[in-house]
Amino acid sequence: MTQLLPRLAPALFLALVALVWETASRSGLADPDVLPPFSHVMGVLWGLVGSASFRADLGLTALEVAVAFVIVVPLGLIAGLYLGEKPQAYRLFSPLLNLLLSVPKSIFLPIFIFAFGIGFGQKVIYAVTLTFFIVMLTGIAAARSVPAGLVNMARAFGASKRQTYLEIYLPAMEPLIIEGARIGFIYTVTGVLIAEMYGSPRGIGRLMFAWGESFRMPELLASVVLVVILTVFVNELLRWLEDSRQTHRSRA
Amino acid sequence: MSAETNMSDMIRVEGLGKRYGDPATGLTALTDIALNVRAGQFVTIVGPSGCGKSTLLQIIAGLVTSTSGEVQIDGRTIVGPSPDIIGVMFQDAWLLPWKTARENVEFPLALRKVPADQRKERAMKLLDLVGLTASADQYPDQLSGGMRQRVAIARSLIQKPKVLLMDEPFAALDEQTRTRMGNELLQIWQESGGTVLFVTHGLTEAIYLADIVYVMGARPGRIIDRIEVELPRPRSIDMIGSEYFGRLRNRIWHLIADPA
Repeated sequence: MTQLLPRLAPALFLALVALVWETASRSGLADPDVLPPFSHVMGVLWGLVGSASFRADLGLTALEVAVAFVIVVPLGLIAGLYLGEKPQAYRLFSPLLNLLLSVPKSIFLPIFIFAFGIGFGQKVIYAVTLTFFIVMLTGIAAARSVPAGLVNMARAFGASKRQTYLEIYLPAMEPLIIEGARIGFIYTVTGVLIAEMYGSPRGIGRLMFAWGESFRMPELLASVVLVVILTVFVNELLRWLEDSRQTHRSRA
Repeated sequence: MSAETNMSDMIRVEGLGKRYGDPATGLTALTDIALNVRAGQFVTIVGPSGCGKSTLLQIIAGLVTSTSGEVQIDGRTIVGPSPDIIGVMFQDAWLLPWKTARENVEFPLALRKVPADQRKERAMKLLDLVGLTASADQYPDQLSGGMRQRVAIARSLIQKPKVLLMDEPFAALDEQTRTRMGNELLQIWQESGGTVLFVTHGLTEAIYLADIVYVMGARPGRIIDRIEVELPRPRSIDMIGSEYFGRLRNRIWHLIADPA
C-alpha cells in the first residue's frame, strides 16, 4: 500500500479535479458557459476523436512534435556532451549559452514566420530552437556526472577509448540522457503548440486558438484535456523508463 | 647494485621525476625516485599527505606520465596501462554501480572479450577467495564498504597480474575492517606469490604488511629511507605491540616529522 499510494496519487488527483469541475459547473458555482461540465466536455472530446478532420490535425501536430523531438534530443545531447567534456569549449561558449537560455524564445516567433513561413518546417524549426538549449544543459550535466575514478579504473584495466565510452560513459550518463529526452519532449510539445497557435493553417494548436477566439469552451477544454492526457502519458512512460533503469545507481 | 640483482627486480624505478607546469617555475611533485622491489615481496610506501605517493603509484601503473626517469615491471618499460602484468586498486573501490559483484570482477576480462563462461568461472573462484560467494549477484549499493573493496581485490586479481599496485585501498574503512582486510590481503598475497606495492599514510599498516617500507617526504616528493621489516610471517596482530614494532614505528614517525 505504501508502495502503491504514490503511484496512484496523480490519478487520484486528476479524479478529484474532474469531480470538483463537474460539481462546480452543475451547481452553478462556476459559469457553465465558461466551464461546461466535465462529462459534457468528455462527450465533446469523444466526438472530436471520432472526426477524421480532427484526427488529421492531431496527427499533423504529433508528427511535428515527433520530427522535432528526433532532431533536437540527439543534437542537444551531443552538443552538451561535447561541451561537458571540453572545458575550453565550455568557457568559450558559456556566456553565449547563458544569454540564449535566458532570452524568451517566443519573442522570435514573428521572425521565424518571416524566415520560414507558417508550415510544417517552421513548427519543427521553432520547437527545435526552443528545446535545444535546455537539452544541451542536460547533456553537459550528463557528461559531468561520469565519475573520473570510474574512467581511470577502466583505463587501468586496459579499456580502449571506444570501450570507455560504451562501458563507462554511456551507462553512467543514461539516467540524465533519459531525463534530457523527457524535458526535451515537454519543450518540443510546447514549441509546436505555441507556433501553431501563433500562426498555422492546421494542427491542434491552431484549432485551440480558433476555439478560444470564438468562445467554443467545450471544444477548447476537450482539446486541452486531450493534450494533457497525451503529454502526461509520454512523460510518465519516459519517467518509468528512467526509474526502472536506476535501481542500483544511488551509490557507487 | 649488481646487474644480477637488477634482473630479479619485479619493479624497478630509476631517477623518476614529475613536474607540473613550466620547467623553470613549475611545481616539482616528485624528484629522483628510485625503487627496487623483488618478485614476491610486499612493499609499502608511507608518507605524509601531499608527498606525491599516490602520483608515484599512478605513474608506476602507467596511468600518469612522468617527466623524467623510467619504470620497469618484469623487465618491461611502462609507457601506459599494462593490465596483463599490473592489477590496481584505489582508495575507492570504483565498482560499476549498474553491474553485480560478479560482473564487476569479470570486467577486465570482458574488456578483453574473454568468453562469458570462462569469465564467470574465474570470477566465482576469486569471489570465493575474498569470501563473497554469497554476494555474487548483489549490486555495489547492496554491499558494505569492506565488501566493495573485496570485490575490487578480486577484480584486480582476475588477470593474474604479476604486480598488484594498491593506492590506500583500506583508508576509507573503519579500523577493525581495515585490520581484517590487511590480514586477508596478506593471506591472498602469500597464496598467490605475487608482488605487492602498497601506498598508505598509516605507519602501523605500512609496517605490519611489509617486507620493506619506503618512507617518503614532501615538497618535493622524494624517498627518505628504505627500511626492512624483520618480522616473521605470517604476521599476527600481537606483533604490533612488540618492542621492535614500536621502535620501528617511532623511527619512521621521526623520519616523516623531521626529515633531514
